[in-house]
Formats: sequence, structure tokens, C-alpha cells
Amino acid sequence: MIELPLVFVGGLLGSSHCIGMCGPLALVLGSNRQQPLANLGRQLVFSTGRIFTYAVLGAAAGFAGLWLRSQPTALVNIQAALAILAGLVLIALGLATAGWLPWGRLKVGVSSCFAATWLKTFLTAPDLMSVFLAGVFTGFIPCGLVYAFLAVAASTGSLWFGAATMAVFGLGTVPLMALTGCGGSLLSLVTRTRVLRVAALCVVATGLVSIARGAGYLDLLGPTAAGCLMCQ
Amino acid sequence: MTPQAEAHPGCSYCGLPLPRCWWSHDEQRDADQPAFCCVGCRIASSVTQSRGAEGQARWMLTRLGLAIFFTMNVMVFAMALWSRDIYLAGQETSELADTLWQLFRYLGLLFSLPVLLLLGVPIVENTWDTLRRGVLTTDLLILLGVAAAYVYSIVSIISGDGHVYFEVACMVLVMVTLGRWLEARGKLRASQALDALSRLLPQRVRVIRNGQPQLVDRAAVAVAEHVRVTAGERFAVDGRIVEGAAEIDQQLITGESETVARGPGDAVYSGTLNTDGDVVVQVTAAAGAETVSRLIELVQAAREAKGRYQRLADRVAQWFVPAVSLLAIVVTWLHTSQTGLEEGILAGLAVVLIACPCALGLATPLAVWTALGRAAQQQVLFGSGAALERLAAIQAVRFDKTGTLTTGQPVVDNLTVDDGEQADELLALAAGLASASTHSLAGAVSGYARAACHGLDVFAPSDVKSVAGRGVSGQCQQTGSRVWLGSEAYVRQAGLQISTGLQRAVQEAHTAGRSLVCIGWDGRVRGVFRFREQLRPEAASAIAACRKLELDAAVLTGDHDHRGAALAEQLQVPVSAELLPQQKLAAIDHAAGRLGPVAMVGDGLNDAPALAAAHVGIAMGCGADMTRDCADVCLLSNDLSRVAWSVKLARRCVHVIRQNLFWAFAYNAVGMALAASGRLNPIWAAAAMALSSFFVVSNSMRLAAEPDDSYLTDESAADRPAAAHGGTEYEPLENSLRDTKILEAPVA
Repeated sequence: MIELPLVFVGGLLGSSHCIGMCGPLALVLGSNRQQPLANLGRQLVFSTGRIFTYAVLGAAAGFAGLWLRSQPTALVNIQAALAILAGLVLIALGLATAGWLPWGRLKVGVSSCFAATWLKTFLTAPDLMSVFLAGVFTGFIPCGLVYAFLAVAASTGSLWFGAATMAVFGLGTVPLMALTGCGGSLLSLVTRTRVLRVAALCVVATGLVSIARGAGYLDLLGPTAAGCLMCQ
Repeated sequence: MTPQAEAHPGCSYCGLPLPRCWWSHDEQRDADQPAFCCVGCRIASSVTQSRGAEGQARWMLTRLGLAIFFTMNVMVFAMALWSRDIYLAGQETSELADTLWQLFRYLGLLFSLPVLLLLGVPIVENTWDTLRRGVLTTDLLILLGVAAAYVYSIVSIISGDGHVYFEVACMVLVMVTLGRWLEARGKLRASQALDALSRLLPQRVRVIRNGQPQLVDRAAVAVAEHVRVTAGERFAVDGRIVEGAAEIDQQLITGESETVARGPGDAVYSGTLNTDGDVVVQVTAAAGAETVSRLIELVQAAREAKGRYQRLADRVAQWFVPAVSLLAIVVTWLHTSQTGLEEGILAGLAVVLIACPCALGLATPLAVWTALGRAAQQQVLFGSGAALERLAAIQAVRFDKTGTLTTGQPVVDNLTVDDGEQADELLALAAGLASASTHSLAGAVSGYARAACHGLDVFAPSDVKSVAGRGVSGQCQQTGSRVWLGSEAYVRQAGLQISTGLQRAVQEAHTAGRSLVCIGWDGRVRGVFRFREQLRPEAASAIAACRKLELDAAVLTGDHDHRGAALAEQLQVPVSAELLPQQKLAAIDHAAGRLGPVAMVGDGLNDAPALAAAHVGIAMGCGADMTRDCADVCLLSNDLSRVAWSVKLARRCVHVIRQNLFWAFAYNAVGMALAASGRLNPIWAAAAMALSSFFVVSNSMRLAAEPDDSYLTDESAADRPAAAHGGTEYEPLENSLRDTKILEAPVA
């Protein structure tokens, strides 16, 4: 998978986009831990839980892509459509994060009030098992970035590559989340703003690559589209 | 547990009635054992009940979390198995792929075992419990289905052939538990409004025994004992003050935001707040029988009385479980005989899951309970859920006048001054004398004088003499003589003469049936105050609010015709006056025939027949002496704006009930058809079930947020300060201006 490294960078820098939503969770996680090392341990276990959920969701998305592709009645190249769709969403998200869309900053995320009561029980528990479960459930919190990368995972059309895409995306989000949970805001406001811009650009780049890949699939289809009902 | 809760045996978690045995109505319940209405309550209870045992609580939630984690794994293995079918469609299999395939099947078994133990055990426990109580629930069928899917899969693995359905078993368990958990939390929230009330009462009370104060449990206080309540404490029992005085905040009971002064001999109610004094109270109603407990008991009793929709749902639910069991068996048998055992099990399980009657059973009670709780918070007490449904259907509302639209506290209508007298001087003298009397007319005079002349220089009389119920007199420096303020008879007795000009005003007042007060000195009456009943400040806006709800509003009164006409003009509402009680009943019947169901708003004592005759009787001023007999709806606060608010709440409640029922029936009908034909995977059926519960719960919970909009209208906000409190408040500005016009035109 040529874009796995790009997905990683997308997760790495794109996660600054999600600090607003998930950052407080990471902070609660480490709030009553004095030793930095113990806190780091909790942060990593928490992220492992998140990555687990991302991977499962990625596998499901990959399976869905595979299943759609195998449908004999499919009129369009599903894989290409998914890749292009994912790309468009990523570009829109990147532009919105950076505030470059005409209608201003897009607010992504819904009220997490329902999850809050559950998550709080797990987040504040001393044992690592609860912390892991907190991570597992955090992975389900609605997030535009996750959905965009899920579309990328679906476009791989494979259970394992879908899972891998999302796992790599999750890995990319670990550094910033752990940093937030451990040290609060180590970066200055100016640096954070710059990182945000770079992150947004990175998300846009991932989107462009995804679109290019989707277009590539379409191109391949061109002359030898034997499976397409319309071209027969 | 409170004594009331014991009187109504209910679920040990949410307190709502337990499902009854469907073939007999005998309660077979061991009183010491906790009983739960559903598996959600059982789990939720073990999570929350033990606040001390935090570890256990966490373990229960961790249990659900772990089950979800394992289920996610099982799902991935299942997808891997499914994708093999897609990859290898029409292709030869390799040895490696076969080994991998077998491995995934075993992994599915391995990871689904913990789910079965974690979530299956509480459901088994609950099913066993309900079975022992003689209640058959669909949980039993769900368990059977899950067990069948599991056993079939194990047989497939051992025989090395056939499909495995571990993901079905796991997802069903997770979704069912999640759905029940959601319902349990919803039911608890429906009861929470009442719990909040009872939690306000202090648990420990300072009883004076043998002259010594000692802290005892609230329940241990007996009637006639003396209880000391210091500033900042709430009264735990009803009683009568025997010592001390205090400003008391009665908002919880009457909705009145102003504090009231209470001293020896005055009654105090449980739940009210002693804001500043230190009082000793003799108990008149002990814990369990005092005001807040009675209030809670009434709302609980209202829950028990089932409305039309509830009876409909109950009738359906009664046949639901047996019918679904039968259908599931038939579907399983049909599909087994046609396409094999696995299809039969899956179709049967899907039928049971879709037909889970949670949504149907909760559709009405959850909405009604939430609405009743919300109403109680706003000092509106419904006699039953049925009253709520009837109120939603009313087309017309009829108000009584005295004590309903009016406060019963008189206000000065106008002052007629004799030729050559200064109104300001009269008012200043009257205000000075009136403040020496506690009579309600004196209070009205005092308030009127202050409102009519801002910055009034009140003349302070000396040597004040007051004759109870007749008048007051005092020596005034300004007149240099004794000034008399009181009834006509009182001033005549004092030897004051009434001029012909004033005599006409007195005559007019008599003809109109109005009270009057004369003021005079030096042998002559100088001015006559005429009084009228005071409209409640919110009367006009309350009627307007009713009109906004497209209700036909009118007033029925036994009072004089011309006063009725004045009221009609003031409130812009049709008034039928000079009605005898039986004519009021006829008027209500007439309105009912012409417009549809009618609600009658009256005060609970005088208008009892009319309240009983109307489709919904709404009683004002039940205050702390609530009685269920007087009306279907009690407005504990004397706030008319609650009438329209209650109608709005009732309509929204019925709307929510209809939505819930429609959803429950439609969802069951469509889902059942799909499931019976074998086109619905049990996973989707389980997810739909959890979603359906979520919809019903969250839809009903919207009622708990019914906004209290009674204070939002400009009119009522402007009128509000005019409320008469012990005669010290004054008339609204525009009213006093209107009256002073008359004042400036002396009668010839």
C-alpha cells in the first residue's frame, strides 16, 4: 500500500484536529497520576484501545468495500467511487480545519453526553483494563476525520488492508494524544496554529492521493471493462 | 426505602410497578428479595446501588465493556470467514486457506465464550427470577435462540462443516443488554422528579423530649411532639408553630416565590424552607403523612391509574408474549423443514428479537410518568394519567370568577372626594390611618394611596383607636381634629354627615354591591373609597394563552350581571353572569355539546359540582390541602398561567404517546414480516430492538424538558408586581392612573 505512510502522517498531523474532542479525555485519564511514566503508560494503553477499535472499524469498512466490489450488479467501480469520495471528504475536512472554506470553520463532532457517563467510569478507574476499554469506546466517538479515513479503508476492498489503514491512522494519532495527556499544551499557541495548518495541508494531500488512486482505477477500466454491464 | 415505596411494591431500581403474572393477578413476591422489572434494571442496579462498593460497580460496567471488546473480535473473525466465501466463489481452496479458515472458526468460539458468560448470566438470572414470579417474558425466548445458535455453531466446528453463528449470539447479547440498560436509565429518570422532592426533606430531626433537643430519624417523630427547626433548614413534617417566628419559603409547595411571615399558631408544611428564624413546631402530620409525602403518594397513585392508551397497550401486550412464542415456533419449524435447521434457528431468533415488546410496553407509561413528574415540579398535580389524556382533548375552557380569576383581596376602585377637598390631603390622611389597621380594606386603601401619589407624605396620626371590622380613628395635626376612616355605619356613628354629592356615590356602590370606606373629620365625610375585586395579575395573559391553544375560553359566574359585563370588557372574554350552580352545569353541558370536551377551572371548594361535571376539573388553590376528590387536576400554586401550560404539556404528552405507539406497532409489524420470512439477520433485529428502545426512551424524555414558559409573555411580566401580599403592594401603574382620572373629577 503506497499511501500507508501518508495515512500515518495524516493521522499524526490530523490528530491536532481531534485534540479538541479527544484531548479532554486524555487529560482526564492522566489527571490524578503524578508520575509521568505511569501516566504515559496509561496514555499508551488508552491509545491501544482506540487503535483496536479503529482497526475493527477499518476491517468492517474493508469488508464492506470487498462485498460491494463482488456484487455482480454494481454499475460503477465501487472501489474508485469510494476512493474519490474519501478524497473529497478529506480535502473538505482539511480545508475546513484550516479555515479556508468560505463558510468558515466546520464544527465536526456531536455531543458526547451519552458516552460521557460511561467513559468517565472507565477513564478514572485505576486499573489498565478500564483504561483500555475507555480507549475502545473512544474509538466509536463520531469524528469526521475517522470517517474520512474509513472511506479510504473501504476503498482498499480488503479486510486486512482496511484494518491496516485504520491501525496506521490510529498509530499516527498516538504521539499528539499522548503528549496532550502527559504534558497538557507543551506547544505554544503560535506553533499549534502552524502545526494545525500543516496538518490540514497533509489531510488535503491524503485526499488528493486518494482521488488520484480512484481515478487510476477508473482509467484501468477504460478499454477493457469486461465486467461492466453498461459497456458490454 | 420510604414507607410509600413499600406500599406500592415496585422494581428495586427504578421503583416502577413490576410486570404482573399474566395468568394470575396474585403478587408472588418475597418482600426481602430485591425484584427488578427488567434485566436492564438488574444490571443498572448492581452498577449504581453500591456507592460504597465502587469496585463492584466498576466491575459490572467493565463486564459490559469487555463483552463489547470480545464481540468486536468475534465480528472480525466472522467477517474473515465471510470474505473467504467472496474471494473463493467458484475457486479451488488451498490447504493453507483451509487451515486458516478452521483457525478463525475456533477463534470465534474462543472469543464468544466470555461474552456468553459476561452477559448471558445476568439475563439467565433475571429470566429465572421472573419465571419464579410466574411472569413469562420474551427474554426466555431470546435466551433459547442464542443458546440454539451457539450449540449449532459448536456442532458445526466439531463436525468440520456448516456455518458458525458466534457473531449472532454475541451481537444479540450485547444489543439486548444495551437496550435494556438504556430503558432502565430512562425509567429511572422518569421517577427522578419525585425522588428529588423526597430527598429535600431532612433525614434527621431535632425533637425536644424532656426539655432536651435530640436528633432522631424523621420517621421516629410522632404527632404532637415538638420539633425545633433553625434558619436554613427545611421542615421535615407538617406542624403548627408554637414558639418563634420566621420568614418561610413555600415555593416547593405553592410555587410562590416570595417568602411569607409565619409566627405562633401558623401552620407550616413539610418541604418548606425556614429562611431566617428559629422556631419550635408542634407536629400535626408525621413523616409519611405530611405534605410532601402526600404529594408523592398522589403522583404515584396517578401513575397506577391507567389511561386509554395504556389500557390499549396492556391489552395488546397481554397476548403479545404467547402470540410471539407461537409465531417463533411456527417460523422455526417452517424454515427448518424448508431450508434446514440453521435457517430455522436464525429466523425464529429474529422474530423473537424484533417482537420484543419493550417499545410497546414502555410507549405510554414512560411518557405519562415523565409528564406527571414534570407537572409535579411545576406544582400541577394530575389525578391520573387518564386526566392527562382527557386534558389533551379539551376544546373549551370555562373559568369561575371569584377566587379563580380574582384573588379575593379587594383593591380600591376609585375615590370620590367631596367638593372643595384636596385628594392628596385625603389620601395622605387615609394612608396614615389605614396603616394602623390590619383589615384587608385598610390594606387596599393604604396601597392605593401610595400608588396614586408617588412620594406621598403620610400624615402620622396619634392616639389611634381601632374598632375591629368597622374602622379606625386618630388625632391628626393637619386637620387639628380626630379623623375617622371606616364603614358607612362607623362614620355615621361618629356623627359625620354625608353630603348629597357623596351620597350618590355611596348609593351607586350599594347598587353595584361594592364595599366602600368613608373618611371624614369635623362632622363631615370628605371622601368615599369604592372597592372592587382584584383580578389575578396573570388572568388576562392566562386567558390569552388558552386562546392561543385554540381553546374556547369563557367565564361562568354567579355574580351580578353588570360586574360580569365589566369583566368581559376588561378581559375581552364572554362572561355568563348570575348563574346558579345548576345553571353552571347546564352551561358546561351546552358548551360540551357545541364545542367538545370542556375543562372547568374553579376553586376546589365552591365549584365542586361544576368541576365534577366538566370533562376535566382544574382546581385552583388546592395549596397545601390537596385533596384528590375535588378535581382531576390541582394547581397547587394559585397561578392561572399553569392552566394553559398544563394543556400544552398534556397535548405534547399525548403526541409523544401516539408517536411511541405508532413507532412500536409499525416497527413490530414491518420487522415481524421480514423476520418471519427469514430475511432479517438476527444481528440487525437485535440492533433494531436497541434502537427502538432508545427512540422510545429519548422521545419520552423530551417531556421532562417541557419549558416553563409562563413567565415569558410580556403581559404577565408587566402585571406580576401587582400581586397583593398582605396589602402592602400597590396597583399596577396603568391601573392607578386610570383610577386617578375619576379622582380628579369630583362628583357634582
